[in-house]
Amino acid sequence: MGLCGENDFNKLALLLTAVFLAGCTAAPQDEVSVRSAEVGYAVKAEPAWTEQPKELEKAKAVEKEKPAAQSKQAANPINELNQPGIAPETSDVTHLGVTDSGEMAVPDNGEELSWFSPGYQPGQRGRAVIAGHVDDLDGPAVFWDLTELEPGDEIVVAGDDRELRFKVHTMESVPLDLADVDSVFGYHSSPELVLITCSGTYDYDRGTREERLIVYASLVQD
Amino acid sequence: MKKLSVSLVAMLVLFSLLASLVMADNHGDMAKVRVLHASPDAPAVDVYVNGDLTLEEVPFKTDSGYLEVPAGTHDVEVFAAGTEYAAGEGVLQADLEVEAGKAYTVAAANLLESIEFVVAEDSMEVTEGQAKIRVGHLSPDAPAVDVGIIGGDALFSGAEFPSITDYAEVDPGTYDLEIRLPDGTQVLPLEGTELAADTVYSVFAVNTVDSLEVIALVDYEAAASPDEMPTTGLGTPEQSQSMWLLIGGALFLVAASGLVWRKRFQ
Repeated sequence: MGLCGENDFNKLALLLTAVFLAGCTAAPQDEVSVRSAEVGYAVKAEPAWTEQPKELEKAKAVEKEKPAAQSKQAANPINELNQPGIAPETSDVTHLGVTDSGEMAVPDNGEELSWFSPGYQPGQRGRAVIAGHVDDLDGPAVFWDLTELEPGDEIVVAGDDRELRFKVHTMESVPLDLADVDSVFGYHSSPELVLITCSGTYDYDRGTREERLIVYASLVQD
Repeated sequence: MKKLSVSLVAMLVLFSLLASLVMADNHGDMAKVRVLHASPDAPAVDVYVNGDLTLEEVPFKTDSGYLEVPAGTHDVEVFAAGTEYAAGEGVLQADLEVEAGKAYTVAAANLLESIEFVVAEDSMEVTEGQAKIRVGHLSPDAPAVDVGIIGGDALFSGAEFPSITDYAEVDPGTYDLEIRLPDGTQVLPLEGTELAADTVYSVFAVNTVDSLEVIALVDYEAAASPDEMPTTGLGTPEQSQSMWLLIGGALFLVAASGLVWRKRFQ
């Protein structure tokens, strides 16, 4: 009787352990971290001069103010971002600068995006940077699906009286400490759009994820 | 870069860990280089960097825009467009040394029979609110010239072929400039030249003297950047859940074995 009972108990213990182990492997995984382990690509940029000759043929001495004219700034360069094919397709974009600690500021909600307004404007030579949250307190946020973007995908930036189309060419997930902020926000001889969200595993000590997902897109010249 | 990406594919398993490190690392060690075709009688050219076809069919008077290249020394070789590559056989070859974080203009200048590289470091900074400009004399048969305000002072004096002047900072605005001989004879008017604030320009005089013209390039436009990346996640993954499962599981095992022991000793 005693032996039998002990056997039963051992079986029960084994069973429970098995259930526990199964539960362990099936425990909810951090999806952002899993997905960011697999991202990254870079497409060789198309040579810039395929579009330039036309412009330069005209660039006789008198018209040489062209470079300056091109960099004219729009009153409101961006208030909406469209990423056809990935959800949400259309998001509002606010204009923000830096936080007290020197970080690029971000909206306090998971629906809006923010454009780093002290930096380059979309369409200006240089990298215009837009950031959005990957998740919020309830779950996926506006840039949850940013990893879904593929090379060649189009992103449309809408301002008050204009639309600019950008084509995705590079995606990388960079550890926070290795991110070259000056390059990501820096000058480029053609207009680029940079989208940023969090990726990698969550660092509980720092209170943020260990990496940033960075997507680069170049302006489609009409 | 090609070799890098190939090896990255090979390391697919380690991709997330290594690739991001390598890529990020490289970013910090990159230089910017743009190529300018300023040889009036040369055909369109292909440019090979370290044996790789990097720029294809660059015609006269065009520039490549800035290309990101790793810091270090690179073998740059120029061929007439479409020519098959053979190391050392190009019309022009140079070992170009570039430093991280700097930008360079590499111009192919002079007539084809004596084609040569003219290399200059480009400025990636400008005093806030100011414009910055320099000129490059890349017209092989033009004499030494001044560039200045029509009826006014020279901004640049005695620029000779082949050379690129230092930069001069000026107030932003629209200037009536001219290229002129040191004696004041006008060579080419550049009226209504608009120089915007926080912007760096290079103006290259190209082609032969009888059809002299200029190419104006923007070297840099200033804009602010933050110190740190944004914190773009409001949520916190459920660390607690898996941790508690582990702790709970451990407690359960201890308790279970305790029960077994007790049973044995009974």
